[in-house]
Amino acid sequence: MLNYYDPKQTPAPQHFLPERDYGTPARLSETLVSLEIDGVAITVPEGTSVLRAAALADINIPKLCASDNLEAFGSCRLCAVQIEGRRGLPASCTTPVAAGMKVTTQNARLAKLRRNVMELYISDHPLDCLTCPANGDCELQDMAGAVGLREVRYGFDGENHLDAETDDSNPYFSFDPSKCIVCSRCVRACEEVQGTFALTIEGRGFESKVAAGQSEAFMDSECVSCGACVQACPTSTLMEKSVIEQGQPEHSVVTTCAYCGVGCSFKAEMQGDRVVRMVPYKGGDANHGHSCVKGRFAFGYATHPDRLKTPMIRESIDQPWREVGWEEAIAFAAQRLKAIQAKYGRESIGGITSSRCTNEETYLVQKLVRAAFRNNNTDTCARVCHSPTGYGLKTTLGESAGTQTFDSVMQADVIVVIGANPTDAHPVFASQMRRRLRQGAELIVVDPRRIDLLKTPHHRGAQHLALRPGTNVAMINALAHVVMSEGLEDREFIAKRCDAAGYQAWREFILDPRHAPENVEAITGVPAEQVRRAARTYAQAPNGAIYYGLGVTEHSQGSSMVMGIANLAMATGNIGREGVGVNPLRGQNNVQGSCDMGSFPHELPGYQHVGDPAVRERFEAAWGVPIDDEPGLRIPNMFDAAVAGEFKALYVQGEDIAQSDPNTQHVEQALRSLECLIVQDIFLNETAKFAHVLLPGSSFLEKDGTFTNAERRINRVRKVMPPLAGKQDWEVTVDLANALGYPMHYDHPSQIMDEIAGLTPSFTGVSYARLDELGSIQWPCNEAYPKGMPTMHVEDFPIGLGQFAITDYVASDELSNRRFPLLLTTGRILSQYNVGAQTRRTHNQAWHDEDVLELHPADAELRGVRDGDWVGITSRAGQTVLRARISDRMPPGVVYTTFHHPGSGANVITTDSSDWATNCPEYKVTAVQVEKVSQPSAWQRQFQTFDRLQLELLRGGNKDEAGQALSGAGE
Amino acid sequence: MSRSQLDTLIHMANQIAANNAHYGDDAAERVYTHLKKFWARSMKRQIVDYLQQDGSELSPLARQAIERLAQSQSETHSASA
Repeated sequence: MLNYYDPKQTPAPQHFLPERDYGTPARLSETLVSLEIDGVAITVPEGTSVLRAAALADINIPKLCASDNLEAFGSCRLCAVQIEGRRGLPASCTTPVAAGMKVTTQNARLAKLRRNVMELYISDHPLDCLTCPANGDCELQDMAGAVGLREVRYGFDGENHLDAETDDSNPYFSFDPSKCIVCSRCVRACEEVQGTFALTIEGRGFESKVAAGQSEAFMDSECVSCGACVQACPTSTLMEKSVIEQGQPEHSVVTTCAYCGVGCSFKAEMQGDRVVRMVPYKGGDANHGHSCVKGRFAFGYATHPDRLKTPMIRESIDQPWREVGWEEAIAFAAQRLKAIQAKYGRESIGGITSSRCTNEETYLVQKLVRAAFRNNNTDTCARVCHSPTGYGLKTTLGESAGTQTFDSVMQADVIVVIGANPTDAHPVFASQMRRRLRQGAELIVVDPRRIDLLKTPHHRGAQHLALRPGTNVAMINALAHVVMSEGLEDREFIAKRCDAAGYQAWREFILDPRHAPENVEAITGVPAEQVRRAARTYAQAPNGAIYYGLGVTEHSQGSSMVMGIANLAMATGNIGREGVGVNPLRGQNNVQGSCDMGSFPHELPGYQHVGDPAVRERFEAAWGVPIDDEPGLRIPNMFDAAVAGEFKALYVQGEDIAQSDPNTQHVEQALRSLECLIVQDIFLNETAKFAHVLLPGSSFLEKDGTFTNAERRINRVRKVMPPLAGKQDWEVTVDLANALGYPMHYDHPSQIMDEIAGLTPSFTGVSYARLDELGSIQWPCNEAYPKGMPTMHVEDFPIGLGQFAITDYVASDELSNRRFPLLLTTGRILSQYNVGAQTRRTHNQAWHDEDVLELHPADAELRGVRDGDWVGITSRAGQTVLRARISDRMPPGVVYTTFHHPGSGANVITTDSSDWATNCPEYKVTAVQVEKVSQPSAWQRQFQTFDRLQLELLRGGNKDEAGQALSGAGE
Repeated sequence: MSRSQLDTLIHMANQIAANNAHYGDDAAERVYTHLKKFWARSMKRQIVDYLQQDGSELSPLARQAIERLAQSQSETHSASA
């Protein structure tokens, strides 16, 4: 028997369909309102618009200016309805539902009104639908059809905007005002979704038009190219250039972005196996349909001509690369690894997993190291970013992860941002944060630099504690001292949730007058009164949430600072519910995942220590080999051991340690010392230039797997095109393991996830089937939490009671340096990503094609430096030369640069100073001197020579020339 | 300019000690536990060798912890022997 859907007998759909536009945003209310629309009874939360209520009952009222990611605006009048007992024809988008309301959405009067509205719109719109890029995806065209528009009685000769000039300045989208219907969706998207306020409606009445900035070209305005306006545009006014060039996509696949730790969900919109555009997916729980310039637009690197497509090998790094088949390359690598182990011992080789690869791939690389190399020499780039988070949060809260969902910020009353720059490094979350700030939450920023979040439009009164780099721990102790000495602590939380002895010891420690803001002022440079005010603001807020980034972890006391943050959150009871918590903002897409998957040398997957016999027993049973009970080498220890001649071979998957790790000259020396370096990457990156085996990698578009974002959310990565070189990264690791004599057999990454789930207590409930069903899962996901755990530590901590840690301030060696009077701190900018290997191969170069040194006007004047001058930056590790940019975003005495371009050599200057607990490098504090110079540094000249040589060798160049250049480069 | 491998290990040990100094009577045990949990076998061996041959650059707390490490390693060694 056929069953017809009868809305009268079915309650309003509880299931949200991300593909549908419900017209206006959802309203949350416990009060439900019942009404009748076209005779259909429907019950919705109070505050819901009539337009949305109708859409929920699958009654689709025509609309143009409404979209369910924007507040109702009521300008197009197309969504007019008739309501019994009310006068006129109100816009359903701006009319909230009322009990007993009887709404009519279609009748002759409404049809006439809508047709008249459309007739006016079309009288000033080009009729080039057949050749228009929006053809097939145009809401204006759809509405003309829906209202039955058949003629335009006014003709087309009147005054119009048809000659308006197109703005093509943005590399990714064009703005064609001749097609604009001035619905303001773009302007509102820029304000409400992105929070940049770069767009406005200029002029009045017929003269009204959309303008960027002060009527500038898009590229010259404050526009950050997030694309929210393009997505919001109902016509082809704002349109992706890729669609203009290629036409409309014919199918789409939901997948996860491979840039930052926000982990946005996207629809990869395709023509065959070619990506036409990436559209943020409204059903993505991390991003709710928003994105940034990187995720939405910077995907062209995946098909860039520089992509490596063939495996290559060579005997030594002064030889040309030789293209070989997969089998030969893998056999060559395996034979070398075995020979090296036979000669130098089991511990002489290791591997580095990638935070850009999937969980499954990362898991396999560490498994390869532990089971096939038979040692624990595995590490990952989290070593150089968030290893202190792992250590610090595990010690205090019992789990190496952030405590909240991103959405939790919408319940926060005070937002504390420490050592993070979300508008550049986590843009989509920054937009959400700004939304909350506009709603009235307070903001406290602890950072030497005046970050852009402090300039959030429509937010006032942000507190900025502009501390000296390297004094975080002194600052967090001072904040905690104020909380405790002024009696602002949450005694109930502490008594119930925290270990009493540890708390007493900490209390005694923190109440010592040396931690008072007045006494710490000399260290941090921040006036005591500001510190007291900030501490009171945070402690007295109903909900205080702390967000932090690499400005916390990348210090000699990174781990202490993470524990200091956890102390403060526990002392004020800001743990275990929505709106609070301790939230590390992760750098790379899968940093959380690579840590979860056992990439660290001391921990098996799920943060289980290798020294625990019970843990080893389970893994040994599953993997069929004994596991070393001693931790292996961390990345910096591997380098030291390589230089010392004890460490001889390294397998690096998807990381560029030669560019990203500190003290470049030391890293280069270490890489040159290796007898076998195997690099698996999508490009010939800086590390690959020192390699003997080059295994072409696959981009996130070419593989199946999962990424885990900063909120512990496991999201599916889905293959949309075949791997360019024929293999997904996990397949290559499997081949290498088999060639080494350790059998691995998987037909699909889902089988790898099943193995992970069987061995990792926090993942027991995770499977691909479950992910498809739920969309995403925040671990832990097991019998106790079958749908995962959005907020952690609600009832108790994984270690039972919270542990306060004593975090004494110990000054960094870098602070007491008289030869180098300035402090260099490094960071990121919006348009480039990490080492830039991906974004430098896209049009994002238009925003940032070189790294510059930002310095304060006073420091510049003292050195006779003008904006744009070449300046040499020297530390005890090395020297490099960059162009100066004078900026008062920095306090005097502090200089800043980014590390997105390899030739900049930002890491030639950074030193081997590192976190005491984890060896995470102190990128954020390097003592330097800056002076005017006229030529690149010696390292940069050598870099250029070496770079040219290696590119030549990639093309199969001449060995003798190569050898000469190489010996020259070594000078 | 880079430190030698041993200099780095000495520096690391002293740094771990300095960051645990405030734990008073528990400090040496904490530093020892840290080294045991996080240092690779070869690093432990080198720092123990250094302690036994010279040890002059180690802070008193680092020294205590490494003495403890040396003791536990010889115990393990004799137990497995």
